[in-house]
Amino acid sequence: MANLGTFLLLASFVICAYATVASVVGARRGSRRLIESGIGGLYLVAALMAVATAVIINAFLTDDFSIRYVAQESETLQPFFYKITAYWGGLNGSIMFWVFLLSVFGSVAVFINRERHRELIPYVVATISTVEAFFLYLMVVHKNPFSTYLTPAPVDGTGLNPLLQNYWMAIHPPSLYTGFVGMTIPFAFGLAALITGHLDDSWLRAVRRWTMVAWLFLSFGLMLGMIWAYEVLAWGGYWGWDPVENAAVLPWFTATAFLHSVMVQERRSMLRVWNVTLVILTFFLTIFGTFLTRSGVVASVHAFGDDPQLARLFTAFMVVILTFSFGMVIYRLPLLKARAELDSWVSREAAFLANNWILLFCAFFVAFATMFPTMSEAVTGTRMTVGPPFFNKWMLPIGLVLLFLTGLGPMLAWRKSTVDNLLNTFAWPVGALVVTVGGLAALGLTQWASLTCFALCAFVFTTILQEFWRGAKVRRKNTGTDLVTALIGLVARNKRRYGGYIVHVGIVLIFLGFAGNAYKRDVTKVLNPGEQMTVGAYTARNDQVKVIEDGQKQSIVAYISVFKGGKQIDTMYPSKALFKKHQNEPPRTDAAIRRGVAEDLYLVLASFELGSQAITLNVVINPLVNWVWFGFGMLAFGTGIALLPESTFSFATAKIASPETVTTTIALLIVAMLLGAPRSASAQHMEMPGSITEPKSDLERKMRDEIACTCGGCAHEPLSKCICGQASQMRDDLRTDIDAGLSHDQIISSWIAKYNGEHFLAMPLDRGFNRLAWIFPYLLGGAGVVGLGFVAMRWSKHPGESQPSEVPSTDAGMNQRLDDELRNLD
Amino acid sequence: MAHRNIKIAVTAVVLASAFGFMMWTTLREGAEYFKHVDEVVAQRPTLEGKKLQVQGYVIPGSILHNSNTLEYRFKIQNNPIRAGEPGNVINISFTGQPPDTFKDEAEVVAHGQLRSDGGFDANQVIAKCPSKYEAAGGTPGQAKS
Repeated sequence: MANLGTFLLLASFVICAYATVASVVGARRGSRRLIESGIGGLYLVAALMAVATAVIINAFLTDDFSIRYVAQESETLQPFFYKITAYWGGLNGSIMFWVFLLSVFGSVAVFINRERHRELIPYVVATISTVEAFFLYLMVVHKNPFSTYLTPAPVDGTGLNPLLQNYWMAIHPPSLYTGFVGMTIPFAFGLAALITGHLDDSWLRAVRRWTMVAWLFLSFGLMLGMIWAYEVLAWGGYWGWDPVENAAVLPWFTATAFLHSVMVQERRSMLRVWNVTLVILTFFLTIFGTFLTRSGVVASVHAFGDDPQLARLFTAFMVVILTFSFGMVIYRLPLLKARAELDSWVSREAAFLANNWILLFCAFFVAFATMFPTMSEAVTGTRMTVGPPFFNKWMLPIGLVLLFLTGLGPMLAWRKSTVDNLLNTFAWPVGALVVTVGGLAALGLTQWASLTCFALCAFVFTTILQEFWRGAKVRRKNTGTDLVTALIGLVARNKRRYGGYIVHVGIVLIFLGFAGNAYKRDVTKVLNPGEQMTVGAYTARNDQVKVIEDGQKQSIVAYISVFKGGKQIDTMYPSKALFKKHQNEPPRTDAAIRRGVAEDLYLVLASFELGSQAITLNVVINPLVNWVWFGFGMLAFGTGIALLPESTFSFATAKIASPETVTTTIALLIVAMLLGAPRSASAQHMEMPGSITEPKSDLERKMRDEIACTCGGCAHEPLSKCICGQASQMRDDLRTDIDAGLSHDQIISSWIAKYNGEHFLAMPLDRGFNRLAWIFPYLLGGAGVVGLGFVAMRWSKHPGESQPSEVPSTDAGMNQRLDDELRNLD
Repeated sequence: MAHRNIKIAVTAVVLASAFGFMMWTTLREGAEYFKHVDEVVAQRPTLEGKKLQVQGYVIPGSILHNSNTLEYRFKIQNNPIRAGEPGNVINISFTGQPPDTFKDEAEVVAHGQLRSDGGFDANQVIAKCPSKYEAAGGTPGQAKS
């Protein structure tokens, strides 16, 4: 199998090279056949990479440890789910996964645009193939995931890094990579437009939605990484300005800037050089980010390790990208001249410009500070470093200005805002701002930064509400319906604009979470058994420390009773897990988190002594932190709405029947996925042979996994596995209880009474802990279903109503402004 | 047109110099020297009282810990034991929770200040892992802000 994999990579590399040459030559000679064969080559690479992916996943699932990469990243006992995700757990596989995603994305993009942008396609194919070829080259010569052992293969693998065996970490890389890879498509189109000189705005339309999709995945990847850091790195925070985090956020800044400035070009034909520059920069930064994480240039907890040869190859590639693309920009400068000028600084385009400058400055600053240690060493010979406080000092005020602009921009008119106009729109938001400041000051909040942040959040939120309110009011008058229908119609008529506002609501929520960080409490103390410590409103007591084993790891679990206002509210279980295959490494510290809307209680077992049962407990209170995750959810929802428009209108005007079926299919798919998720998880539990009786019901099977044998001789194995007499007795007891019709919770509580404690449980009870986190994907899925359902309803009910009816209105000024914008935006 | 370009150029220069100045001043506060033990010992007078990160290897058996508090005392030397020449030694006192990777012979980076007696007061200790995700694990002792 390894040979097949290596062959597939080699073949892909050769075909990529061919596709590049065929496309360029075909375009220059005007040979349709050559161009078509180049496109075919691109599709073929996607197919080959899909097969290669199947080969390596198969190798992981069948525990083929003759492949070096499999032996490094997997082991026999590794759970099924993590055997699959181990594919992108290491350096070599992550590069291969990258190429796989790029080939799929690239093929889809070319397939969709091959007729509409016929003149650009050859160069798009050439660009994508070149990028693929670079990464394939890395694998073929240097980082082959299919390389085998020269010596006899090991019997078992070393297993995936414990830190990566986490739900969030499993889905974080695919999302982030999709975001990174997706940025290649706009770059390919931009470069093709530069090369061919077709620099009218049509290439922008082709890439706008791709950028939005990629941006969505990038945002989501960032969020998943943050949640992962929050749960697994156990330091009480989610963002530490680590080089690798910075590398991922750099293209996010420039892509966000592009999504805003592209509107200025569409409306006013300005900023044309700027936009193409942003597209190039974003792509460059994705490669730069990959380079940072994989070459060992900067030291980081997340980096893959030192690799000078890889660093050299990447540097060469980056130099080529920059020289070639900016060379093309300079060559095409005459064609890129702006067709309009800025009329006034009090206009929406000026606000967009300011937003762009600030976002770009963010990117520049973060890149500078990340590279500062490396640069200072190269220049002065002395290594100087800057820490998170330095980042925070800069990014905090910048972030606040950005937040302010989020509210300001939508209130300004294009071209020029009049004074009347300003007074009219600013009254409510400024009122909300003043009230918030007054209210919070009265409550005794003095921290200026978070006070400003809260006030600005109120300001921005009010501006968005106002936009919805005014738009809906105008539409109600025009169409003569009720306000809710008008609101829905407003969003449906102009999904990109109002979707964008919903994204802004998400940003406001995220900032709310950031502001809460100022009131974080963090206390560490040594607790002997029975001792307690109080932080804020919470008191935590060390009840006991226990060792719990499963086949893969040994967990040291502290049982902490948590009190609030004198009453016990919870028992929490911060733990450390020692993985058997990673004996020489430090244990994985798993924080216990009690999530809440107002604040999280976050417990970390910093250290322990089994003999004396003493622990060092780190108690952190994180106010408002969950609003960050909710904010990202809102952001995803808004982007989803914004992404719908073009196809919606073509569907709605062309054929009515098909969109319904499409939507229903998608909705059904999502429902199926939602239902499928828990089912596949429970399918992991194994049947046990031998003397163990078959469980009669699902409940019994489930509870046998939850309850551990108490005999003391079998390393605390669950009842589904242990074959000793005690376990057999306990199984009989369980059967009796289930036959008596007791429910899961009733049995647990009666057994707690019977055994005088919870030590019969294989894992501590999971009250409160993680509940919010698990709800989150379902919440998103639910929002998606609702969104799709609402779109389906729109299409089916009002197929002919896509043109606005010309009804005279009394609110002439507002109406005209709205119509003007509605007409011009899409 | 020329007039407009001058205006743009002046704005750009003013903005750039303002940012440059702010960056420079904040960098002076925010930047920390990153030095090895030998360098710190050699340049002791100039480094006293400055924000400093010192990198070295924990001398085996030197970690003293008061088990009821979070006070730690340990010694680090310039080179790992296996290198043969140990190099200079610095005494470090630290109050807090060191990461799981902190143990004898570990490569550590201590953040803090040099005392006038040559000892080092650390407010944070980060232990490095020999390698990252490839073969071994990362460092859970993430930088705390």
